[in-house]
Amino acid sequence: MSNTEVLKPLKTWSHLAARRRKPSEYEIVSANLHYTTRPGAPAFELDPNLFANRWYKKYRDESPLKHGNWNAFRDPDELIYRTYNMMQDGAETYVMGLFDQFNQREHDQSLSSAWAGTLARLYTPARYLFHTLQMAGGYLAQVAPASTISLCAAFQSADALRWLSHCAYRTKELSITFQDKGFVRDERRYWESAPAWQGFRELMEKVLAAYDWGECFVAMNLVAKPAIEEAVLRKLGEAARHNGDILLGLLTDSQLLDAARHRRWASALVKMAAAEPGNAEVIRGWLDKWAPLADRAIDSYCAALPDLIDGGEAAKQACAEFRRSLPLTA
Amino acid sequence: MATLERMDWYDIARTTNWTPQYVPEDELFPAELSGHMDIPMDKWEIYDEPFKQTFPEYVKVQREKDAGAYSVKAALERSKLYENADPGWLSVLKAHYGAIARGEYAASGAEARMVRFAKAPGQRNMATLGMLDEIRHSQMQLFFPHEYVSKDRQFDWAHKALDTNEWAAIAARSMFDDMMMGRSAVEVGLMLTFAFETGFTNMQFLGLAADAAEAGDWTFSSLISSIQTDESRHAQIGGPLIGVLVANGKKAEAQRMVDSAVWRAWKLFSVLTGPTMDYYTPLEHRKQSFKEFMQEWIVAQFERSLLDLGLDKPWYWDIFMREIEDQHHGMHLGVWYWRQTAWWNPAAGVSTAERQWLEEKYPGWNKTWGACWDVITDNLVEGRKELAYPETLPVVCNMCQLPINTTPGAGWQVRDYPHEHDGRLYHFCSEPCRKIFQDEPQRYAGHQSIVDRFLSGEIQPMNLAGALQYMGLAPGESGDDAHNFKWADTIRDERLKKAS
Repeated sequence: MSNTEVLKPLKTWSHLAARRRKPSEYEIVSANLHYTTRPGAPAFELDPNLFANRWYKKYRDESPLKHGNWNAFRDPDELIYRTYNMMQDGAETYVMGLFDQFNQREHDQSLSSAWAGTLARLYTPARYLFHTLQMAGGYLAQVAPASTISLCAAFQSADALRWLSHCAYRTKELSITFQDKGFVRDERRYWESAPAWQGFRELMEKVLAAYDWGECFVAMNLVAKPAIEEAVLRKLGEAARHNGDILLGLLTDSQLLDAARHRRWASALVKMAAAEPGNAEVIRGWLDKWAPLADRAIDSYCAALPDLIDGGEAAKQACAEFRRSLPLTA
Repeated sequence: MATLERMDWYDIARTTNWTPQYVPEDELFPAELSGHMDIPMDKWEIYDEPFKQTFPEYVKVQREKDAGAYSVKAALERSKLYENADPGWLSVLKAHYGAIARGEYAASGAEARMVRFAKAPGQRNMATLGMLDEIRHSQMQLFFPHEYVSKDRQFDWAHKALDTNEWAAIAARSMFDDMMMGRSAVEVGLMLTFAFETGFTNMQFLGLAADAAEAGDWTFSSLISSIQTDESRHAQIGGPLIGVLVANGKKAEAQRMVDSAVWRAWKLFSVLTGPTMDYYTPLEHRKQSFKEFMQEWIVAQFERSLLDLGLDKPWYWDIFMREIEDQHHGMHLGVWYWRQTAWWNPAAGVSTAERQWLEEKYPGWNKTWGACWDVITDNLVEGRKELAYPETLPVVCNMCQLPINTTPGAGWQVRDYPHEHDGRLYHFCSEPCRKIFQDEPQRYAGHQSIVDRFLSGEIQPMNLAGALQYMGLAPGESGDDAHNFKWADTIRDERLKKAS
């Protein structure tokens, strides 16, 4: 007879069983889901030199951002699919309620023609900008080294689609009241050629081409997104309130709740990364590389926003504060 | 009217292509990840997804669907399904979850490939919802089996199977990676969503849901039918791409992608779904045979949708029709015989009544596959159980990673389909597997099958124990006959009764 031990059932997945506490639903369904990070094996069960295998080796496995166990990352909000839908269905019910009520009160008819022109130039073209965040979030979701990171990125990408959807909805609605402002027709032209947008367009085109997963995360989540949120959500929302556009102010407030959640997981990931030697320097290097581009984007956008004093300075300040708040010391 | 209708603003939300200026377009959309084949950006903008849904509609509908599936689970948690289910049914669950749950998660990465690198804006938006869907499917199909881990160690494999080098895990990764994360946005659209999800997941999820309902497993039945409602939306991502490719002179490329994906999906289904439907599911709960499910869900569906979209039937259609008759019987015999290398307990499924059913569904079964089972049955009935274990390895195909086998009996014509490439000799199970390799050798040439690894000495010691260790299977996990050979005892009793 052999003395080989016969494995007994465990209380949870074997990869979680070593710890003594009961795993949460979040951990059961979110942790260690990438089968593409098996030690010593190429990412994909195909020729090791296949383009995709080389891509993942270079941009994921050989990133300057290194950690012995990325799978240890946990989203501080412990968001899973079903809670994401509950939360965002609630948020969308609120936003759709706003659209409904403000429409009934003929909100758009009360806006000035000048402010409507501002919206056509500085708000509705933002669907292109939000879409770049949707795309970049999709990239991070496919290239991050742990499923708990990828899931945060995927939900973040979906949130960008949410912002884009609000923007598309308002574009159509505004076009009904203001037929001479180019709503629906001119957004792409503004996005591609208006000076106010070129900083953000340059920033996001370059973020989209930042293929190293670590750099993609830092450039998007620690630099570009905060800049977009401070300028195109917060400062635009403020300008809106100053121009009687309460609806846009309330809408950007709702979107900023998503943004705050994104910053929570981003900060948690920075904290985990920075606990390993060398990573803080890598992150700081990328922050230094990307921040000037983001500051310039804020400047050119905020300079065009009416009725704000030092809007650009305040937005840049808020971004700098966020970066300073990052737990970059071990 | 106080709020807009969906179609008032839907098109605006998918008008998001712009001309990049600060980074070259080819750097933003690398050909290998985008799959654009030099079709200009604006040509992709005619892409029109047939199933339209907005973000607010999505979160509302999905929240309701989740509430349904999770409440069925909660209501039936004390129903003692595990204790009361036939062991064959538990094997269906184990094989399904192990091969599928983490594969669904990988599919979210493939959807993300389309979110980022597709040039069709509608495709990027639909893939964003598809990416969320696949997260749903992986998370549910991990949460549901987790309730069984404390009862049975093999359920740990619902999570861990695809992390291992178990042979079916290698075969599943090989297929999934070849139509998902190893592919471009356009290829994912055609291979994963059009070729795989339109037909094969329909069959896995609706076919198995029918069997589950028959078996009284309402939790599993409602879970997988709920999943299928998502598939029916995001499976439609691929169809409109065919129109774009055909309109731009790329029909041959589209045809090749579909041909390759359908064949690769078929081979994996022949080893996982075929045996679960025709052998593991208790006889009284079988809704239709695997062949009937295949004909209804795959054959009819593909013939219709391929032709509708301007493609042809795959060149190997006749070979496919022949394999539907019998390939899975050979796969099943192999899995049962090498059952120690599985993370589930294969049910032999060859009691007297089951054999009658097999003969009825597959005329000639008794003379062919039945003849092999006669030998196994005789050995078991006559107390020679040691002969019901393997001593050698099968030869596996360098494409599908599955054992090369064919129908035994008078018409026996097993053959290898060899191919030499760069001085290495490859072995394939069939003409289509070989052709897929020959069409794109750079995708596969450097890969080692599990038998290649064994022969090269990577698996040590070079015996069954070494192989099991390499596959990550320990006692307590390693498979055995689902019914502990009770079916052979019954046959012995029947024979004794007849003799007396």
